[in-house]
Amino acid sequence: MIYAAMLAYLATFITALLRKIKPAQYFFLAGFLIASTALFYRWVHVWHIPMQNLFEVFLCLGVVIYPVSIFSYRVLRIGAIAADMLIGVIVLFPAGFIFSAEPLQLPPALQTWLFGPHVFVYMLSYVLMAKAAVQAFIQLLWHGLPYHGLPAREEMATLSPEEAAYRMICAGFPLLTLGLILGSFWGQQAWGDWWSWDPKELWSLASWLIYVGFLHFRYMFAGKFPRINSLWAIAGLAAIIITLLWVNLSRLFPGLHNYAM
Amino acid sequence: MPEAGLKNSLKRPVLWAGFILILLLTVFSIYGAFIGVEAAQKFFNSIPLAVYWLTFIILLILSIFIFPRLLHWRGSFLNHIGCVIILLGGIIGSQAGFAIYDKLSGTDTIRKGQMIINSGSTERAVEMDNGIIKMLPFAIKLVNFKIDYYQPGQLIIRAQNGQGFKIPAETGHKYDLGDEFGIIEIVEQYEYFKLSREGDKRFAIEDVNGGPNPALEISWQKPDGNNVTRYVFQRFPGHARPEDNLQFSYQRAIKDFISELEVIKDNKVVAQKSIEVNKPLHCEGFLFYQQGYDVEAARYSILGVTNDRGLGIVFIGFILLCIGVFWHFWFRHILGDREMEE
Repeated sequence: MIYAAMLAYLATFITALLRKIKPAQYFFLAGFLIASTALFYRWVHVWHIPMQNLFEVFLCLGVVIYPVSIFSYRVLRIGAIAADMLIGVIVLFPAGFIFSAEPLQLPPALQTWLFGPHVFVYMLSYVLMAKAAVQAFIQLLWHGLPYHGLPAREEMATLSPEEAAYRMICAGFPLLTLGLILGSFWGQQAWGDWWSWDPKELWSLASWLIYVGFLHFRYMFAGKFPRINSLWAIAGLAAIIITLLWVNLSRLFPGLHNYAM
Repeated sequence: MPEAGLKNSLKRPVLWAGFILILLLTVFSIYGAFIGVEAAQKFFNSIPLAVYWLTFIILLILSIFIFPRLLHWRGSFLNHIGCVIILLGGIIGSQAGFAIYDKLSGTDTIRKGQMIINSGSTERAVEMDNGIIKMLPFAIKLVNFKIDYYQPGQLIIRAQNGQGFKIPAETGHKYDLGDEFGIIEIVEQYEYFKLSREGDKRFAIEDVNGGPNPALEISWQKPDGNNVTRYVFQRFPGHARPEDNLQFSYQRAIKDFISELEVIKDNKVVAQKSIEVNKPLHCEGFLFYQQGYDVEAARYSILGVTNDRGLGIVFIGFILLCIGVFWHFWFRHILGDREMEE
């Protein structure tokens, strides 16, 4: 099912590039439904919220991309659905080809109501920040010209990628903050400390601070330095990738979060 | 008007200073992630960092007064004041905060440590992270400690040729491993395994007095038709007899470990609770949480002990920060920027 969802997202990407809007929308929906079915099947199979290991997290990200994309299009007025589907393929790839799908039983530390909300808000924020980074890339590559994301509305055509990245970060930042706070509260419940200076915590803080820095820099200079703003948004995503992957997979960062492999 | 002039002239420097402090903290966080938990704890509690934290707090407070917009944008105000409160709570509850408090008040407070308590025993001693023992103002009794496992466990079989099998450990079930290895039947599961003897006959029994010793009794019909009995112990994975071509392991994933605690003060039980991971006991300013246990025989439980000083302040800061960011970035836009127009 993961491979089928990847194919559907890839088909969305290609048809969107070819400006075939209707087929793109159908493929998009189909990819989401297949990925959701895979996630639901996993949920029933493991009998807990499927967000325990990196396989499940990336599968969830492959599902979350659809509602986030629709939300961005309808509410934030940001198109680039083709790029969203590329994100969909990229996040499903590790679930389909790299990480072990062997089901694991939930260790005691993860048996709490905080598990679902903490991971879910982080996933939502990560997808929003990934979309912001895509807009930042577009800004750097197309030198700030409005990107005609598909399908595009009139008002979208006037929105610069830098402005679009800013909107995405504004949407994702509260969720990133909530994820950090929920994690801290959870740490207090599980390990007796709301902050343990654990590598995962410190990388999460660094990711959050990069966006805090971005928001302050943009407050100071608005859109005067769009390239710096874009580089900032990309640096934020790089920190998120390190937090999500490198910290868990590398032996460089032994800590309390090493179960989440 | 000179006051307004001063405020205006301070705006840029304060913004830049804040921006540089944010950048510095980002760099410190990344550096801390590389040096390991203990070194990071020392680093963030060091004197230069104490200066940094205080500067950060002062700057945040200053920014609230210098930027009138912060007062008008309620969300942004809450963000900044939330950060100040979190940092203040963090300083109060930090190693350095406790050291200063103890020096000024002449007390010797327990900040963070652990207790090792045997089942049925009562304990007051807390071992600090630095190895020093301090006494609680009350005693903790471990009434009972138990471990819950996911059912069924698994019988892991590894052949000499590298082939492996994973079988659910369900009593009465038979599993055919193929012509090369024969048939395995799980005959019995034991929690307190003990081998008993009556004359020449040896047989397995449950003996609670001997302590936990989880094991499986399996009947193995070998390819040559011989039927043999094997005991597979959870504590000795990968055991194999010289004459066997299979190694057996018994694995069970831990679902939960639970300590039934009583808090005793002046010979009276003042509180009781079964604590688990994620369900600590909060009593008289201390949090007792399930940190570990005796892996060998589950005879004792390891409790983490932390002082809750500053914790409430930190959580108030969290709430304000959370309301602030959602208000500033989401809700004021949903409400049609009415706040900004005001």
